Amino acid sequence: MRSALVFTFLALSTVLYFLVGIIPVLIALCLPKKHRGRWMRYIILYYGLWQIRVVFRPFFKIEFRPQPDELTRQAGIYVFNHRSASDPFLVALFGKEVIQIVNGWPMKLPFYGFFARLCEYIDATRTDFEQSLAHIGDLTSRGVSVMAFPEGTRSGNQSMNHFHSGIFRIARELKLPIYPCAIAGNERLPDRSFRFHDDSLIIVEQLTPISADEVAAAPTAYALKQRIHLAIAEASTKLDAEIASRIRI
Amino acid sequence: MTREKIIQLVNQIFIEQFEIEPDQLTPEKRIFEDLALDSLDIVDLVTGLQQKFSIPLRENKDILEIRTLNDIYVLFEKLAAEHPDIIAKLNQDP
Repeated sequence: MRSALVFTFLALSTVLYFLVGIIPVLIALCLPKKHRGRWMRYIILYYGLWQIRVVFRPFFKIEFRPQPDELTRQAGIYVFNHRSASDPFLVALFGKEVIQIVNGWPMKLPFYGFFARLCEYIDATRTDFEQSLAHIGDLTSRGVSVMAFPEGTRSGNQSMNHFHSGIFRIARELKLPIYPCAIAGNERLPDRSFRFHDDSLIIVEQLTPISADEVAAAPTAYALKQRIHLAIAEASTKLDAEIASRIRI
Repeated sequence: MTREKIIQLVNQIFIEQFEIEPDQLTPEKRIFEDLALDSLDIVDLVTGLQQKFSIPLRENKDILEIRTLNDIYVLFEKLAAEHPDIIAKLNQDP
């Protein structure tokens, strides 16, 4: 029942958003590619904020704990743990113009896939390393950050899968800062079968950034990914404990 | 070159370049599943091994069969026998 309600809200709110937003979308479609991408990324950013701040509000609370602005001004790579299909919505909390690296199937979705392509998202299954490097280099030079889920797929629970090292290799090559972030509480919002449970609190916490100099100084991409994996795993475990204690109260 | 020396040199790469704790480096550890290396990390590993042992590995087909740390040790025991001149130089290093 709860899942049906959430998905009904999601579908109706999506239709409403794009009915209201049809004019900016049409304008964006007429613009040159670079400007179109920027318009579309902001349209998707506000769509994400609309969903998590308004539409999901009756169902669960979302807390966001960012780092100070001065530490995250430079375009870089945001790295998240990945428990649930709600993660790509939650990244809107950062309020930045971003692209996401996605794992094939979201690009093929009839509606979201269309916008993902216009936003210049990267399909990790169809883009080789050199293409990704060039694309991310171009985007970050224009101030666009990249949101990555290096586990590659949702864990569906409180554990974390191994990270793939590709995005860390790109960060080293391009000398970009990395912004590690932990998401907790949403492993069943929705679960891997797209059912929404009664969980009521999600916390998104941005951890201490890793400067471009620190990234470049790491001996290998592997060393970097393991350090960040450990930091996110420790942070999300703490957040899980906090959520459990607050829900009990 | 003794097996102990090979283990020491291989493990040095994992410790210095991959920042893996020495106590994690036991022969039965699987490279992908237990140590979490992926195909891109293997490129760094092969480069590190080539530099450390001064033995070209890019064309070596046995490298594709590596699954565990012990497989690497065994491969280099074999290579040590095939490249006595290079190994002699390494043996002189502390």
